[in-house]
Amino acid sequence: MRVLIQLRPAPDVVASVIDPGVRSTVADVVTELPGVLLDQGFTPVPVPRPVSADGAPLSLNQRVQFSLAPEDASVLVRGEIPDTELSTRSVLLSSSVREVTGLFADPAIERHVTCGGDGPVGDWEAVRRLLHVHDLWAAGYDGEGVSIAVVDTGINADHVAARIGHDVAVDEARSWSPPGLAKTPGRHPVGHGSMCAFDALIAAPKATLLDIPVLLTRESTIAGLLSDAIAAYAHLNGVIQAMPDDSRSLVVTNSWGLFSPDTDFPPGHPGNYSDNPAHPFNVIVGSLEGAGADILFSAGNCGRECPDRRCGYSDRSIVGANSHPRVLSVGGVDTRGERVGYSSQGPGRLSERKPDLCAYTHFAGSEATGAADTGTSAACPVAAGVVAAVRTQRTAGELSPSQLRTLLHRTADDRSTVGFDHDYGYGVIDPPAVVAALARQNRTRAA
Amino acid sequence: MTLVQVRLPPDATLDDALRLLGLTADDADAAFGLVAVAPGRYVLRVTGGAAGRVDPDVAEVFSDPRIEPQEPG
Repeated sequence: MRVLIQLRPAPDVVASVIDPGVRSTVADVVTELPGVLLDQGFTPVPVPRPVSADGAPLSLNQRVQFSLAPEDASVLVRGEIPDTELSTRSVLLSSSVREVTGLFADPAIERHVTCGGDGPVGDWEAVRRLLHVHDLWAAGYDGEGVSIAVVDTGINADHVAARIGHDVAVDEARSWSPPGLAKTPGRHPVGHGSMCAFDALIAAPKATLLDIPVLLTRESTIAGLLSDAIAAYAHLNGVIQAMPDDSRSLVVTNSWGLFSPDTDFPPGHPGNYSDNPAHPFNVIVGSLEGAGADILFSAGNCGRECPDRRCGYSDRSIVGANSHPRVLSVGGVDTRGERVGYSSQGPGRLSERKPDLCAYTHFAGSEATGAADTGTSAACPVAAGVVAAVRTQRTAGELSPSQLRTLLHRTADDRSTVGFDHDYGYGVIDPPAVVAALARQNRTRAA
Repeated sequence: MTLVQVRLPPDATLDDALRLLGLTADDADAAFGLVAVAPGRYVLRVTGGAAGRVDPDVAEVFSDPRIEPQEPG
Protein backbone atom coordinates (compact mmCIF):
# COMPACT_ATOMS: atom_id res chain seq x y z
CA MET A 1 0.00 0.00 0.00
CA ARG A 2 1.20 3.46 -0.83
CA VAL A 3 1.64 5.62 2.28
CA LEU A 4 2.56 9.13 3.34
CA ILE A 5 4.91 9.33 6.31
CA GLN A 6 4.91 12.43 8.46
CA LEU A 7 8.28 13.17 10.12
CA ARG A 8 9.51 15.75 12.52
CA PRO A 9 13.28 15.87 12.05
CA ALA A 10 15.68 18.39 13.60
CA PRO A 11 14.67 22.05 13.01
CA ASP A 12 17.70 22.70 10.76
CA VAL A 13 16.57 19.85 8.46
CA VAL A 14 13.01 21.22 8.40
CA ALA A 15 14.42 24.68 7.63
CA SER A 16 16.23 23.27 4.58
CA VAL A 17 13.05 21.63 3.33
CA ILE A 18 11.14 24.89 3.79
CA ASP A 19 13.85 26.99 2.09
CA PRO A 20 12.80 27.43 -1.58
CA GLY A 21 16.45 27.99 -2.50
CA VAL A 22 17.43 24.51 -1.33
CA ARG A 23 16.43 21.37 -3.22
CA SER A 24 16.06 18.78 -0.48
CA THR A 25 15.85 15.06 -1.10
CA VAL A 26 14.34 12.23 0.89
CA ALA A 27 17.85 11.19 1.95
CA ASP A 28 18.36 14.64 3.53
CA VAL A 29 15.35 14.00 5.77
CA VAL A 30 15.56 10.31 6.54
CA THR A 31 18.03 7.65 5.45
CA GLU A 32 15.75 4.68 5.90
CA LEU A 33 12.57 3.53 7.59
CA PRO A 34 12.33 -0.18 8.47
CA GLY A 35 9.94 -2.02 6.15
CA VAL A 36 9.19 1.03 4.02
CA LEU A 37 10.29 1.34 0.40
CA LEU A 38 10.86 5.08 0.29
CA ASP A 39 10.11 6.95 -2.94
CA GLN A 40 13.43 8.70 -3.51
CA GLY A 41 12.00 10.67 -6.43
CA PHE A 42 9.46 12.45 -4.26
CA THR A 43 10.49 15.89 -3.04
CA PRO A 44 9.84 16.20 0.73
CA VAL A 45 6.94 18.54 1.50
CA PRO A 46 6.89 20.82 4.55
CA VAL A 47 3.58 20.78 6.43
CA PRO A 48 2.67 23.68 8.74
CA ARG A 49 1.51 22.92 12.26
CA PRO A 50 -1.92 24.10 13.33
CA VAL A 51 -1.70 26.13 16.51
CA SER A 52 -4.26 27.87 18.65
CA ALA A 53 -3.46 31.35 19.82
CA ASP A 54 -4.61 30.86 23.41
CA GLY A 55 -3.59 27.24 23.95
CA ALA A 56 -7.17 25.95 23.65
CA PRO A 57 -7.73 22.52 22.07
CA LEU A 58 -7.58 22.61 18.27
CA SER A 59 -10.82 22.53 16.34
CA LEU A 60 -11.27 23.04 12.62
CA ASN A 61 -14.61 24.67 13.46
CA GLN A 62 -12.72 27.58 14.98
CA ARG A 63 -10.27 29.95 13.40
CA VAL A 64 -6.92 28.10 13.28
CA GLN A 65 -3.48 29.51 12.73
CA PHE A 66 -0.67 27.58 11.08
CA SER A 67 3.02 27.77 11.89
CA LEU A 68 5.70 26.96 9.36
CA ALA A 69 8.49 27.74 11.82
CA PRO A 70 11.17 24.98 11.65
CA GLU A 71 10.58 24.01 15.26
CA ASP A 72 6.83 23.54 14.58
CA ALA A 73 6.56 22.25 11.01
CA SER A 74 6.82 18.63 9.93
CA VAL A 75 7.86 17.00 6.66
CA LEU A 76 6.02 14.50 4.46
CA VAL A 77 7.76 11.79 2.46
CA ARG A 78 6.09 8.90 0.68
CA GLY A 79 6.71 5.21 0.16
CA GLU A 80 5.19 1.78 -0.01
CA ILE A 81 4.57 -0.90 2.62
CA PRO A 82 3.68 -4.48 1.63
CA ASP A 83 -0.05 -5.05 2.27
CA THR A 84 0.75 -8.06 4.45
CA GLU A 85 2.91 -5.96 6.82
CA LEU A 86 0.75 -2.88 6.98
CA SER A 87 -0.81 -3.29 10.41
CA THR A 88 2.48 -4.33 12.06
CA ARG A 89 4.53 -1.61 10.42
CA SER A 90 2.07 1.14 11.20
CA VAL A 91 2.43 0.37 14.91
CA LEU A 92 6.18 -0.30 14.89
CA LEU A 93 7.20 2.72 12.87
CA SER A 94 5.97 5.39 15.23
CA SER A 95 7.32 3.54 18.28
CA SER A 96 10.73 2.62 16.85
CA VAL A 97 11.58 5.75 14.86
CA ARG A 98 11.42 8.88 16.95
CA GLU A 99 10.96 11.25 14.00
CA VAL A 100 7.85 9.49 12.68
CA THR A 101 4.73 11.30 13.85
CA GLY A 102 2.15 9.88 11.50
CA LEU A 103 1.41 7.33 8.79
CA PHE A 104 -1.37 8.01 6.28
CA ALA A 105 -2.89 6.37 3.23
CA ASP A 106 -1.83 7.80 -0.13
CA PRO A 107 -4.72 6.70 -2.35
CA ALA A 108 -4.71 7.03 -6.12
CA ILE A 109 -6.64 10.08 -7.25
CA GLU A 110 -8.17 10.13 -10.68
CA ARG A 111 -9.91 12.62 -12.90
CA HIS A 112 -13.63 12.25 -13.37
CA VAL A 113 -14.27 9.69 -16.06
CA THR A 114 -16.60 10.35 -18.97
CA CYS A 115 -20.00 8.73 -18.47
CA GLY A 116 -23.07 8.19 -20.62
CA GLY A 117 -24.90 11.37 -19.73
CA ASP A 118 -21.92 13.67 -20.14
CA GLY A 119 -21.64 16.06 -23.06
CA PRO A 120 -19.25 15.43 -25.96
CA VAL A 121 -15.51 15.46 -25.31
CA GLY A 122 -14.05 17.00 -28.45
CA ASP A 123 -15.41 16.50 -31.94
CA TRP A 124 -14.87 14.24 -34.94
CA GLU A 125 -12.27 16.59 -36.41
CA ALA A 126 -10.26 16.00 -33.23
CA VAL A 127 -10.65 12.26 -33.81
CA ARG A 128 -9.32 12.72 -37.35
CA ARG A 129 -6.30 14.54 -35.94
CA LEU A 130 -5.72 11.87 -33.28
CA LEU A 131 -5.87 9.16 -35.94
CA HIS A 132 -3.56 11.18 -38.23
CA VAL A 133 -5.93 10.44 -41.10
CA HIS A 134 -4.35 12.97 -43.47
CA ASP A 135 -1.07 11.04 -43.21
CA LEU A 136 -2.98 7.80 -43.80
CA TRP A 137 -4.68 9.16 -46.90
CA ALA A 138 -1.43 10.65 -48.22
CA ALA A 139 0.06 7.17 -48.01
CA GLY A 140 -2.91 5.76 -49.95
CA TYR A 141 -4.82 4.28 -47.01
CA ASP A 142 -8.30 5.77 -47.57
CA GLY A 143 -10.64 2.78 -47.89
CA GLU A 144 -10.88 2.86 -51.69
CA GLY A 145 -12.17 -0.49 -52.94
CA VAL A 146 -12.88 -1.77 -49.41
CA SER A 147 -16.38 -2.74 -48.22
CA ILE A 148 -17.55 -1.99 -44.70
CA ALA A 149 -20.67 -3.88 -43.63
CA VAL A 150 -22.49 -1.84 -40.99
CA VAL A 151 -24.52 -4.41 -39.04
CA ASP A 152 -26.92 -2.18 -37.15
CA THR A 153 -30.23 -0.28 -37.44
CA GLY A 154 -29.79 0.82 -41.05
CA ILE A 155 -28.03 3.78 -42.67
CA ASN A 156 -29.35 7.10 -43.87
CA ALA A 157 -26.76 7.97 -46.50
CA ASP A 158 -28.05 11.51 -47.13
CA HIS A 159 -27.63 12.40 -43.47
CA VAL A 160 -24.17 10.87 -43.27
CA ALA A 161 -23.07 12.64 -46.47
CA ALA A 162 -24.38 15.99 -45.24
CA ARG A 163 -22.55 15.65 -41.93
CA ILE A 164 -19.25 14.33 -43.27
CA GLY A 165 -19.12 16.63 -46.28
CA HIS A 166 -18.68 14.20 -49.16
CA ASP A 167 -20.63 11.57 -51.09
CA VAL A 168 -21.26 8.25 -49.36
CA ALA A 169 -21.27 5.05 -51.39
CA VAL A 170 -23.79 2.38 -50.34
CA ASP A 171 -23.72 -0.85 -52.34
CA GLU A 172 -27.40 -1.70 -52.69
CA ALA A 173 -26.89 -5.05 -54.38
CA ARG A 174 -24.66 -6.43 -51.63
CA SER A 175 -26.67 -4.91 -48.77
CA TRP A 176 -29.21 -7.04 -46.94
CA SER A 177 -32.59 -6.74 -45.43
CA PRO A 178 -34.38 -9.03 -43.01
CA PRO A 179 -37.41 -11.04 -44.13
CA GLY A 180 -40.55 -8.94 -44.04
CA LEU A 181 -38.75 -5.60 -44.27
CA ALA A 182 -38.56 -3.71 -47.57
CA LYS A 183 -35.01 -3.48 -48.84
CA THR A 184 -34.09 0.20 -48.74
CA PRO A 185 -30.35 0.31 -48.20
CA GLY A 186 -29.04 3.78 -47.33
CA ARG A 187 -32.55 5.15 -46.90
CA HIS A 188 -33.38 4.16 -43.34
CA PRO A 189 -34.42 6.62 -40.62
CA VAL A 190 -31.51 8.55 -39.11
CA GLY A 191 -30.32 6.76 -36.00
CA HIS A 192 -27.70 4.50 -34.47
CA GLY A 193 -26.77 2.86 -37.80
CA SER A 194 -26.11 6.26 -39.39
CA MET A 195 -23.84 7.12 -36.47
CA CYS A 196 -21.88 3.92 -37.04
CA ALA A 197 -21.60 4.60 -40.78
CA PHE A 198 -20.38 8.15 -40.17
CA ASP A 199 -17.80 7.01 -37.62
CA ALA A 200 -16.47 4.30 -39.95
CA LEU A 201 -15.90 6.90 -42.66
CA ILE A 202 -13.80 9.14 -40.40
CA ALA A 203 -10.66 7.18 -41.31
CA ALA A 204 -11.85 5.50 -44.52
CA PRO A 205 -13.86 8.09 -46.50
CA LYS A 206 -13.66 6.18 -49.78
CA ALA A 207 -14.91 2.86 -48.44
CA THR A 208 -18.16 1.41 -49.78
CA LEU A 209 -20.85 0.73 -47.19
CA LEU A 210 -23.04 -2.37 -47.04
CA ASP A 211 -26.24 -1.66 -45.11
CA ILE A 212 -27.15 -4.64 -42.88
CA PRO A 213 -30.06 -3.55 -40.62
CA VAL A 214 -30.38 -6.53 -38.27
CA LEU A 215 -31.62 -4.35 -35.43
CA LEU A 216 -34.71 -3.27 -37.38
CA THR A 217 -36.19 -6.72 -37.43
CA ARG A 218 -38.39 -6.48 -34.36
CA GLU A 219 -41.53 -4.44 -34.82
CA SER A 220 -41.65 -1.13 -32.92
CA THR A 221 -38.29 -1.57 -31.19
CA ILE A 222 -34.69 -0.95 -32.09
CA ALA A 223 -33.59 -4.48 -31.34
CA GLY A 224 -33.33 -7.84 -32.99
CA LEU A 225 -32.79 -11.47 -32.28
CA LEU A 226 -29.49 -13.24 -32.62
CA SER A 227 -31.00 -15.42 -35.34
CA ASP A 228 -31.43 -12.25 -37.43
CA ALA A 229 -27.69 -11.71 -37.14
CA ILE A 230 -27.09 -15.33 -38.18
CA ALA A 231 -29.11 -14.72 -41.34
CA ALA A 232 -27.19 -11.50 -42.02
CA TYR A 233 -23.84 -13.23 -41.52
CA ALA A 234 -24.87 -15.99 -43.93
CA HIS A 235 -25.49 -13.23 -46.48
CA LEU A 236 -22.05 -11.71 -45.76
CA ASN A 237 -20.48 -15.14 -46.20
CA GLY A 238 -21.95 -15.13 -49.69
CA VAL A 239 -20.61 -11.62 -50.28
CA ILE A 240 -17.04 -12.52 -49.37
CA GLN A 241 -17.11 -15.87 -51.17
CA ALA A 242 -18.02 -13.96 -54.33
CA MET A 243 -14.84 -11.86 -54.06
CA PRO A 244 -11.73 -13.18 -55.86
CA ASP A 245 -9.32 -14.78 -53.39
CA ASP A 246 -6.59 -12.23 -54.08
CA SER A 247 -8.74 -9.14 -53.52
CA ARG A 248 -10.88 -9.99 -50.51
CA SER A 249 -11.46 -7.03 -48.22
CA LEU A 250 -14.61 -6.96 -46.12
CA VAL A 251 -14.75 -5.21 -42.76
CA VAL A 252 -17.77 -5.98 -40.56
CA THR A 253 -18.60 -3.53 -37.78
CA ASN A 254 -20.99 -4.60 -35.00
CA SER A 255 -22.04 -2.09 -32.35
CA TRP A 256 -24.54 -4.29 -30.57
CA GLY A 257 -24.69 -7.14 -28.15
CA LEU A 258 -26.48 -8.88 -25.34
CA PHE A 259 -27.03 -6.78 -22.22
CA SER A 260 -28.66 -9.34 -19.99
CA PRO A 261 -28.68 -13.11 -19.54
CA ASP A 262 -32.49 -13.03 -19.24
CA THR A 263 -33.18 -14.23 -22.81
CA ASP A 264 -30.23 -16.66 -22.99
CA PHE A 265 -29.86 -20.17 -21.67
CA PRO A 266 -27.61 -20.19 -18.58
CA PRO A 267 -23.84 -20.76 -18.94
CA GLY A 268 -23.17 -24.47 -18.94
CA HIS A 269 -26.39 -25.26 -20.85
CA PRO A 270 -25.48 -26.72 -24.27
CA GLY A 271 -27.74 -24.16 -26.00
CA ASN A 272 -26.22 -21.13 -24.24
CA TYR A 273 -24.82 -18.22 -26.28
CA SER A 274 -22.83 -15.98 -23.91
CA ASP A 275 -20.16 -18.54 -22.93
CA ASN A 276 -20.50 -21.11 -25.69
CA PRO A 277 -18.23 -21.16 -28.76
CA ALA A 278 -20.50 -23.86 -30.26
CA HIS A 279 -23.52 -21.52 -30.51
CA PRO A 280 -24.40 -21.15 -34.22
CA PHE A 281 -23.76 -17.40 -34.19
CA ASN A 282 -20.29 -17.90 -32.70
CA VAL A 283 -19.67 -20.61 -35.30
CA ILE A 284 -20.70 -18.40 -38.22
CA VAL A 285 -18.54 -15.54 -36.88
CA GLY A 286 -15.54 -17.87 -36.99
CA SER A 287 -16.56 -19.06 -40.45
CA LEU A 288 -16.82 -15.51 -41.85
CA GLU A 289 -13.46 -14.56 -40.34
CA GLY A 290 -11.94 -17.68 -41.79
CA ALA A 291 -13.16 -16.60 -45.21
CA GLY A 292 -11.18 -13.36 -44.84
CA ALA A 293 -13.49 -10.84 -43.16
CA ASP A 294 -12.23 -8.48 -40.46
CA ILE A 295 -14.92 -8.55 -37.79
CA LEU A 296 -15.10 -5.91 -35.09
CA PHE A 297 -17.44 -5.84 -32.10
CA SER A 298 -18.02 -3.17 -29.51
CA ALA A 299 -16.82 -4.39 -26.11
CA GLY A 300 -20.00 -3.15 -24.44
CA ASN A 301 -21.13 -0.40 -22.09
CA CYS A 302 -21.00 -2.18 -18.75
CA GLY A 303 -17.79 -0.59 -17.44
CA ARG A 304 -17.30 -0.51 -13.70
CA GLU A 305 -17.57 3.26 -13.18
CA CYS A 306 -20.85 3.96 -14.96
CA PRO A 307 -22.49 0.90 -16.50
CA ASP A 308 -25.55 1.10 -18.74
CA ARG A 309 -28.74 0.60 -16.72
CA ARG A 310 -29.54 -2.49 -18.83
CA CYS A 311 -26.36 -4.36 -17.81
CA GLY A 312 -27.38 -7.65 -16.26
CA TYR A 313 -24.10 -9.54 -15.93
CA SER A 314 -22.49 -9.24 -12.52
CA ASP A 315 -19.05 -9.96 -13.98
CA ARG A 316 -17.39 -10.65 -17.33
CA SER A 317 -19.75 -8.38 -19.23
CA ILE A 318 -18.02 -8.87 -22.62
CA VAL A 319 -20.12 -11.82 -23.74
CA GLY A 320 -20.70 -14.04 -26.75
CA ALA A 321 -19.30 -12.88 -30.08
CA ASN A 322 -18.25 -9.56 -28.53
CA SER A 323 -15.58 -11.66 -26.79
CA HIS A 324 -14.91 -14.05 -29.69
CA PRO A 325 -11.20 -14.88 -30.13
CA ARG A 326 -11.45 -14.22 -33.88
CA VAL A 327 -12.91 -10.70 -33.66
CA LEU A 328 -11.45 -7.39 -32.58
CA SER A 329 -13.31 -6.27 -29.43
CA VAL A 330 -13.18 -2.51 -29.15
CA GLY A 331 -13.38 -0.50 -25.93
CA GLY A 332 -13.77 3.28 -25.79
CA VAL A 333 -11.55 6.22 -24.88
CA ASP A 334 -12.48 9.88 -25.11
CA THR A 335 -10.44 12.38 -27.13
CA ARG A 336 -8.22 12.94 -24.07
CA GLY A 337 -7.18 9.30 -24.36
CA GLU A 338 -8.93 8.33 -21.12
CA ARG A 339 -11.09 5.22 -20.99
CA VAL A 340 -14.76 6.21 -20.76
CA GLY A 341 -16.32 4.90 -17.55
CA TYR A 342 -18.94 2.79 -19.32
CA SER A 343 -16.48 0.88 -21.53
CA SER A 344 -16.69 -2.79 -20.55
CA GLN A 345 -13.63 -4.38 -18.99
CA GLY A 346 -12.32 -7.84 -19.56
CA PRO A 347 -11.78 -10.68 -19.27
CA GLY A 348 -14.23 -11.80 -21.92
CA ARG A 349 -16.37 -14.91 -21.70
CA LEU A 350 -15.20 -16.64 -24.89
CA SER A 351 -11.67 -15.26 -24.72
CA GLU A 352 -9.78 -13.95 -21.69
CA ARG A 353 -7.83 -11.18 -23.45
CA LYS A 354 -10.64 -8.74 -24.12
CA PRO A 355 -11.06 -5.96 -25.05
CA ASP A 356 -8.40 -6.15 -27.75
CA LEU A 357 -7.88 -2.39 -27.91
CA CYS A 358 -9.64 0.95 -27.58
CA ALA A 359 -10.71 3.59 -30.07
CA TYR A 360 -12.23 7.06 -29.72
CA THR A 361 -15.81 7.69 -28.67
CA HIS A 362 -18.01 10.28 -26.98
CA PHE A 363 -17.26 13.07 -29.48
CA ALA A 364 -19.52 15.46 -31.39
CA GLY A 365 -19.89 13.85 -34.77
CA SER A 366 -22.79 12.44 -36.74
CA GLU A 367 -25.62 14.14 -34.80
CA ALA A 368 -27.58 10.99 -35.58
CA THR A 369 -28.33 10.03 -31.99
CA GLY A 370 -27.76 13.25 -30.06
CA ALA A 371 -24.98 15.72 -29.34
CA ALA A 372 -22.31 13.03 -29.05
CA ASP A 373 -21.46 9.79 -30.80
CA THR A 374 -21.23 7.68 -27.68
CA GLY A 375 -20.71 4.22 -26.35
CA THR A 376 -18.37 1.54 -27.49
CA SER A 377 -20.96 1.72 -30.31
CA ALA A 378 -18.99 4.68 -31.70
CA ALA A 379 -15.53 3.34 -30.84
CA CYS A 380 -16.12 0.15 -32.84
CA PRO A 381 -16.78 1.79 -36.25
CA VAL A 382 -13.97 4.28 -35.65
CA ALA A 383 -11.63 1.28 -35.36
CA ALA A 384 -13.39 -0.41 -38.31
CA GLY A 385 -12.56 2.66 -40.42
CA VAL A 386 -8.89 2.30 -39.54
CA VAL A 387 -9.00 -1.40 -40.47
CA ALA A 388 -10.70 -0.53 -43.78
CA ALA A 389 -8.03 2.10 -44.46
CA VAL A 390 -5.32 -0.53 -43.94
CA ARG A 391 -7.17 -2.94 -46.22
CA THR A 392 -6.89 -0.41 -49.08
CA GLN A 393 -3.38 -1.71 -49.68
CA ARG A 394 -3.40 -5.09 -47.95
CA THR A 395 -6.09 -7.60 -48.91
CA ALA A 396 -6.96 -10.51 -46.67
CA GLY A 397 -4.94 -12.70 -49.03
CA GLU A 398 -1.82 -10.68 -48.23
CA LEU A 399 -2.50 -10.07 -44.54
CA SER A 400 -5.02 -12.40 -42.90
CA PRO A 401 -7.55 -11.04 -40.39
CA SER A 402 -5.60 -12.79 -37.64
CA GLN A 403 -2.32 -11.22 -38.75
CA LEU A 404 -3.95 -7.81 -38.94
CA ARG A 405 -5.32 -8.16 -35.40
CA THR A 406 -1.83 -9.05 -34.18
CA LEU A 407 -0.44 -6.00 -35.96
CA LEU A 408 -3.07 -3.79 -34.33
CA HIS A 409 -2.25 -5.29 -30.92
CA ARG A 410 1.46 -4.80 -31.39
CA THR A 411 1.20 -1.19 -32.55
CA ALA A 412 -1.49 0.02 -30.13
CA ASP A 413 -0.50 2.86 -27.81
CA ASP A 414 -0.11 1.00 -24.51
CA ARG A 415 -1.95 2.85 -21.72
CA SER A 416 -0.47 0.87 -18.85
CA THR A 417 2.99 -0.16 -17.80
CA VAL A 418 2.31 -3.84 -18.14
CA GLY A 419 1.32 -4.35 -21.78
CA PHE A 420 -2.13 -5.91 -22.09
CA ASP A 421 -4.66 -4.98 -19.43
CA HIS A 422 -8.39 -5.54 -19.11
CA ASP A 423 -9.28 -1.83 -19.23
CA TYR A 424 -7.57 -0.78 -22.47
CA GLY A 425 -6.59 -4.15 -23.96
CA TYR A 426 -3.32 -3.66 -25.81
CA GLY A 427 -3.89 0.10 -25.86
CA VAL A 428 -5.39 2.79 -28.08
CA ILE A 429 -5.46 2.13 -31.83
CA ASP A 430 -2.54 3.96 -33.44
CA PRO A 431 -2.76 4.24 -37.26
CA PRO A 432 0.65 5.90 -37.80
CA ALA A 433 2.31 3.00 -35.98
CA VAL A 434 0.37 0.51 -38.11
CA VAL A 435 1.43 2.26 -41.32
CA ALA A 436 5.05 2.42 -40.14
CA ALA A 437 5.00 -1.32 -39.44
CA LEU A 438 3.52 -2.02 -42.87
CA ALA A 439 6.20 0.17 -44.48
CA ARG A 440 8.89 -1.87 -42.68
CA GLN A 441 7.26 -5.05 -44.03
CA ASN A 442 7.31 -3.55 -47.54
CA ARG A 443 11.02 -2.73 -47.27
CA THR A 444 11.77 -6.21 -45.97
CA ARG A 445 9.84 -7.78 -48.84
CA ALA A 446 11.63 -5.59 -51.39
CA ALA A 447 15.09 -6.36 -50.00
CA MET B 1 -39.52 -19.25 -31.89
CA THR B 2 -36.47 -21.31 -30.99
CA LEU B 3 -33.22 -21.80 -32.86
CA VAL B 4 -32.47 -25.37 -33.93
CA GLN B 5 -29.27 -26.59 -35.57
CA VAL B 6 -29.17 -29.61 -37.87
CA ARG B 7 -26.49 -31.34 -39.95
CA LEU B 8 -27.39 -31.78 -43.60
CA PRO B 9 -25.56 -32.17 -46.91
CA PRO B 10 -24.72 -29.14 -49.11
CA ASP B 11 -27.64 -27.34 -50.79
CA ALA B 12 -30.14 -28.68 -48.27
CA THR B 13 -33.55 -26.98 -48.09
CA LEU B 14 -35.96 -26.13 -45.30
CA ASP B 15 -38.10 -29.07 -46.39
CA ASP B 16 -35.10 -31.37 -45.96
CA ALA B 17 -34.60 -30.07 -42.43
CA LEU B 18 -38.28 -30.43 -41.52
CA ARG B 19 -38.29 -33.97 -42.86
CA LEU B 20 -35.23 -34.83 -40.79
CA LEU B 21 -36.83 -33.36 -37.68
CA GLY B 22 -40.27 -34.87 -38.29
CA LEU B 23 -41.90 -31.42 -38.30
CA THR B 24 -44.34 -29.67 -40.64
CA ALA B 25 -44.14 -26.33 -42.43
CA ASP B 26 -46.41 -24.81 -39.77
CA ASP B 27 -43.78 -25.56 -37.13
CA ALA B 28 -41.08 -23.41 -38.78
CA ASP B 29 -40.43 -19.76 -39.64
CA ALA B 30 -40.52 -19.96 -43.45
CA ALA B 31 -39.35 -16.35 -43.84
CA PHE B 32 -36.17 -17.16 -41.94
CA GLY B 33 -35.76 -20.37 -43.90
CA LEU B 34 -32.75 -22.64 -43.53
CA VAL B 35 -29.48 -20.77 -42.95
CA ALA B 36 -26.01 -22.28 -43.40
CA VAL B 37 -23.64 -21.40 -40.55
CA ALA B 38 -20.74 -23.65 -41.59
CA PRO B 39 -20.26 -26.47 -44.08
CA GLY B 40 -22.86 -29.13 -43.24
CA ARG B 41 -24.38 -27.10 -40.39
CA TYR B 42 -27.70 -25.27 -40.76
CA VAL B 43 -30.11 -23.46 -38.44
CA LEU B 44 -33.85 -22.87 -38.62
CA ARG B 45 -36.40 -21.24 -36.35
CA VAL B 46 -39.20 -23.42 -35.02
CA THR B 47 -42.00 -22.89 -32.51
CA GLY B 48 -41.30 -23.63 -28.87
CA GLY B 49 -43.64 -26.62 -29.00
CA ALA B 50 -41.89 -28.04 -32.04
CA ALA B 51 -38.49 -27.56 -30.40
CA GLY B 52 -39.72 -29.70 -27.54
CA ARG B 53 -40.46 -32.54 -29.96
CA VAL B 54 -37.03 -32.47 -31.60
CA ASP B 55 -34.93 -35.60 -31.11
CA PRO B 56 -31.70 -34.46 -29.35
CA ASP B 57 -29.75 -37.06 -31.33
CA VAL B 58 -30.80 -35.34 -34.57
CA ALA B 59 -30.67 -31.62 -33.71
CA GLU B 60 -29.42 -29.17 -31.11
CA VAL B 61 -31.53 -26.40 -29.58
CA PHE B 62 -29.87 -23.04 -28.96
CA SER B 63 -30.89 -19.75 -27.37
CA ASP B 64 -31.99 -16.88 -29.60
CA PRO B 65 -31.49 -13.92 -27.27
CA ARG B 66 -32.49 -10.33 -27.86
CA ILE B 67 -29.68 -8.07 -29.15
CA GLU B 68 -29.51 -4.28 -28.82
CA PRO B 69 -27.35 -1.35 -29.89
CA GLN B 70 -24.55 -0.55 -27.45
CA GLU B 71 -25.09 3.11 -26.77
CA PRO B 72 -25.13 4.18 -23.12
CA GLY B 73 -28.58 4.18 -21.61
